[in-house]
Formats: sequence, structure tokens, C-alpha cells
Amino acid sequence: MKRAWAWALLVPPLAMTLLLFVGPLMYLFWVSVHEASPSELYGHAFTLHNYVEVIGDSFYLAIIRRTLGVAAAILGCCLLIGYPVAYFVALQPARRRTYVLLLLLFPLMVSNVVRAYGWVAILGRRGVLNTSLRELGIIDAPLDLLYTTEAVVVGLMTILLPYMVISIANTLSTLDRRYEEAAQALGAGPVRTFLHVTLPLSTPGVASGMLLVFLLTLSAYVTITLLGGPRSKLLVSMIYDGVTAFQWPHAAALAFVLLALALMLTALILAVLRPGRVEGTGR
Amino acid sequence: MTTATIDVRLTGVRKSFGAVVAVNDVTLDIDRGTILSLLGPSGCGKTTTLRLIAGFEQPDTGDVYIRGKRVTAIPPYRRDFSMVFQSYALFPHLNVADNVAFGLRMRRIPSNDRAAAVKNALELVKLGAYADRHPRQLSGGQQQRVALARAIVVKPAVLLLDEPLGALDKMLREEMQVELRNLQQRLGITALFVTHDQEEALTLSDRVAVMRGGVIEQIGAPREIYDRPRSEFVAGFLGASNFLDGRVVARNAETAVVETPAGRVPVMVEAAAVGDKVRIAIRPERVRLTDAQGDGLPARIRNIVYRGPATHFYMDSAAGSLLSYRQNAAADDWSIGDEVRCTWDAASAVVVEPERA
Repeated sequence: MKRAWAWALLVPPLAMTLLLFVGPLMYLFWVSVHEASPSELYGHAFTLHNYVEVIGDSFYLAIIRRTLGVAAAILGCCLLIGYPVAYFVALQPARRRTYVLLLLLFPLMVSNVVRAYGWVAILGRRGVLNTSLRELGIIDAPLDLLYTTEAVVVGLMTILLPYMVISIANTLSTLDRRYEEAAQALGAGPVRTFLHVTLPLSTPGVASGMLLVFLLTLSAYVTITLLGGPRSKLLVSMIYDGVTAFQWPHAAALAFVLLALALMLTALILAVLRPGRVEGTGR
Repeated sequence: MTTATIDVRLTGVRKSFGAVVAVNDVTLDIDRGTILSLLGPSGCGKTTTLRLIAGFEQPDTGDVYIRGKRVTAIPPYRRDFSMVFQSYALFPHLNVADNVAFGLRMRRIPSNDRAAAVKNALELVKLGAYADRHPRQLSGGQQQRVALARAIVVKPAVLLLDEPLGALDKMLREEMQVELRNLQQRLGITALFVTHDQEEALTLSDRVAVMRGGVIEQIGAPREIYDRPRSEFVAGFLGASNFLDGRVVARNAETAVVETPAGRVPVMVEAAAVGDKVRIAIRPERVRLTDAQGDGLPARIRNIVYRGPATHFYMDSAAGSLLSYRQNAAADDWSIGDEVRCTWDAASAVVVEPERA
């Protein structure tokens, strides 16, 4: 009886997922394996051309490389900056931790569009940074800071950092302090306690933080467009361009390439970090 | 015992958390190769005392010595001890062998010696076949053994055990008590054992320190603590006891007679003088019952509880309620409401310091 109820409760979300996600996804795939058509959403002839075009073209491969490069840079920065912050947050008493986490969430309440324009105002040729540097006599001509891959990395990184911090902080704050004490009792000093015990035990938080940041990087659009400009396009930009040019099958194929990349890298992150090995309290 | 080497020494150690004094002027020694138990109710300061020895807490005053070396200001990882936690705290990301090897690795023992020591330690706790398992794949008892192997493999000056058997069920706990004791004696380990279980403390220890309110109430061999409790608290905490109030009316070198509202009873004397008001404690198993015609303290049976090996007789007397355990060897022929007489040897009744009301 209880089981039946559990299943009954599962039906609405399951139906939603099937109807609004799996269905459209399959339809999208169907579109992606057809010819483009000047008048319809997709042509009649079945073809793999859309995929071959993406995988075989050095232009698209460069875009894929850049996309992965940006994602890797953002992941690295978020991890390097986020872990120490998360460690600090986790050390706070429970009450203060809530406030600190709330503080970290504040930036997320500002629209990404607004934040991207903020970076435009800072990084532009007549932006805060260039003007200041010029006033100080450090540079003669404005630097090209905006519309670069670096600008995209910085812009996205600042947006996604809280996700990393919150994920890791959650894991660290629920970590049983006894593990660290056990390591110390066995002769491990603070550094080795961290490397051999705290860090491996925080992998579930690191993995979920990395996945969140990585997947949000792949799907970000506004920040990339506003800060990357026409020269620093990523896969998402190409999908959008495909759609605006009515190249529906082409855009659909790109979407599936992006999805495949996301799945492969998710698998890679999980395989390397193996967050599952930490599960079970050792009790 | 007095010539034995002392592995752990606390001198006048005091520790408070805010306004709460957790450990108040504790002084104790642990001789090499012996187990000292810290026994007491929760919040008595026993775990804090252990954590002071480990260095997880710093004393406000007083000093901690391990093997004669003052370690008060030294961090835990430079102190010569190891520890078994109540939750075991086995590292979930490491398998059994790596858990046991952890301390050796931190001590930079070469990997060949390490592997041999790990194998040896796992065999000592009968888990030789489990080296590749992960902690979560083991039962509670097995995890407990791994925790023990991990702690003894580093050959510490002192092994600190923080209620290590608390999470096990009763049968397993008793089995582990005996096993732990055997292992400790075989390897000559010096250990501090923290527990709130009085039976466990009596079974495992060479000496027991009963703590309350941050103070050691009494310290001594298990038999001494049990048979000759100094205070009503100690008598009551280690098993059941009958308490009677009265006045000393006669005494010789070793025994005295105490006048209670129900009559005169014999008692072993420590420091009481004739005329003193005293409270005496008698263990229920030392209280003999005879028929109403005999000598002894008159009482009426209020309740009889059959407990398998023994039967418990609850009685009322003019001096208060009394309890007697009788082994179920002989047929018991009393029933509720019967008048009986209670007697005991003077050596079974001790004068105790009454509870502060």
C-alpha cells in the first residue's frame, strides 16, 4: 500500500519529465538527423551531415576546444578560490555559517545581464580599469580586455563561484571532526591531516560543485555573448547563431554535441574524484 | 606496583568550558602495562580528561606527562598515544589495510615493515582476511576491531579508549571486553579506558577511577571500588546498594555496631567513632535472608523478581527499604508479605560518605 502511494506520488514529476524533457529531446534528435530546409523546421531527407560537419570542421573543433578550455579555467579558478573560502565558512559556528552563506548568495540575486554589463563597464576600452591605468600613467593606449576569452572566464567565474563554495562548505561542515582527530591521534600534522583525510573526505562536495559549475558554464549564454563578443564564441553561441540563421537541424546537432561533451566530462569528473568511496560513515 | 614505570601522569589538571568546570584538579597515574578506567555518568569529565591526555583540549592549569615527558604544550600529533573512538572514525575512503597502515605511514615507516606490521595487527584482531574491505562493508564489531588494530599497530605509549564498545550490542560487547583485556595483557599495553558502564570498568581494568562533576571520587582496584566504596555515590553508581542510617554504638579495631531504627547491625569500620551518625552501604548479594525467628534486621517482603540466575527480594524495614539477591541454587520458600530477617557479615557493610542533599 505504502509502495503504491510512493509510486503514485512519482507519477506527476515523471510525466512532466517525459512530456517536457525526454519527448522534446527525442524530437530534437530527430531534427538533428535531417537536412536543413528553407521553408520547414527540417527537410525530408535523413542525414548525418550535421554531425559530420561539426566533428570534421576545424572551425567547430576550435570552438569545442575553446569551450572546454574556458570550462577548465573556470573550474580551476573556482576550485582554487572556492575551497579555502568553503573551508573558512565550514569552520564558522552554525548560526554565523548561515549568514555567511546568505552573503555568498547575494550576488546571485542580481541578473546575469546586469552583472555582465557591470564587467563591460569595468573592462571596456573606456572602462574603469583602462581609464584608471591610463590616469596613473601605467599604459598609453587602452588594453583589449573586453571581448576576450579571459573576460568570459572572469565574468562566468564570479557568477559560478558561490555554487562551488556552497557545495564544498556543505560537505565540510557535515564532516565528522573525529576523522581529523583520528588522523592527528595517528601522528598526522595539520597539513597531512588535510591532504590525507579532510580533502579526500570532501570529494562529494568538490564533485557536486565541479559538476554544477561545469554544467552551468556549458549552458551560460548572456555572459559569454556580452563579454566574449564576436571573437570569443563558445558552443552555446554557435547554437544560438544556428537558430537565428534558421539552420534548425544544424543547431540541433550542435546541441547534441554539447550534451555529449557534458555527459563525457561529467563521467570523467566522477571517475577521477570517485565521491562514492566516501559514502558510509565508517561506523 | 609502586616500582612500576608510570606511562601517563596528570598533575592538578583543570579544564573549564566557559563557566562549566569539566575537569577539576585531577591527579592520576597510569602504570605501564595496566588499564585505568575512568568511570562516571555523562558529563562527569571523563571524556574531557581523556581528550586532555590526547591534547585535543588544553588544560587551564596542571600538567600532562606521557612516559615522563611533559606534553602539556605539545600538539596531539607529536604525542605518543593512539586512540579508539566511540564512533571508530575509520577513514571511509581507505580500505582496512590502509586504515591500519595510516599511523605507520605518518611515522614514515618503510613500506615493507609497514605491510608486515599491518598484517600482524590484523591477525591479532582476527581480521586477516579483511584487509581489502572498506569500513562500510564491515559489521560494527569488525569495524571496532579495525579501529583497535589501527591504534595498537603504532605501539603507542598509551592507548586511549573512548567508550569503544558503546555502540556494540550486549553480547558482542562482553565478548570484546574479554578479547580486549587479553590483547592488552599479551602486548603489555598501557591504556586509559573511558566508560559509563560499571560492569565494563570492573571487567577490564586494573584500576578504576570513579568520576563525578570533574572530580575523581575514588580510585582503586575494581574489587576495592566495589566492595569498599568510599561514598554513597560510588556505591550507588557501581551496582545496587542498600543504604542504612544509624549511630555507632560500639566498636573494636575492625568492626563496629550501628544502631538503626530497625535494630543493631554489624559494620566494617574505617574512621567512625562511637556516637557518630553514619550511613552504611551493603551490597544486595551480601544480604542473607533467614526466617523471622532468627537474628537480624526484621523486614517484610514487598516484591520478588525472578531474574534467572538470581532472585531479587525487595523488602521494607523500619530502617528503610532493603534489597537482597539470592542465587537460585536453593529453593526459595518465601513469598510476598512474609516477615524475614536480614543479616550480613561486618566485612560486607561499609560506612560511606552520604550524598550531599
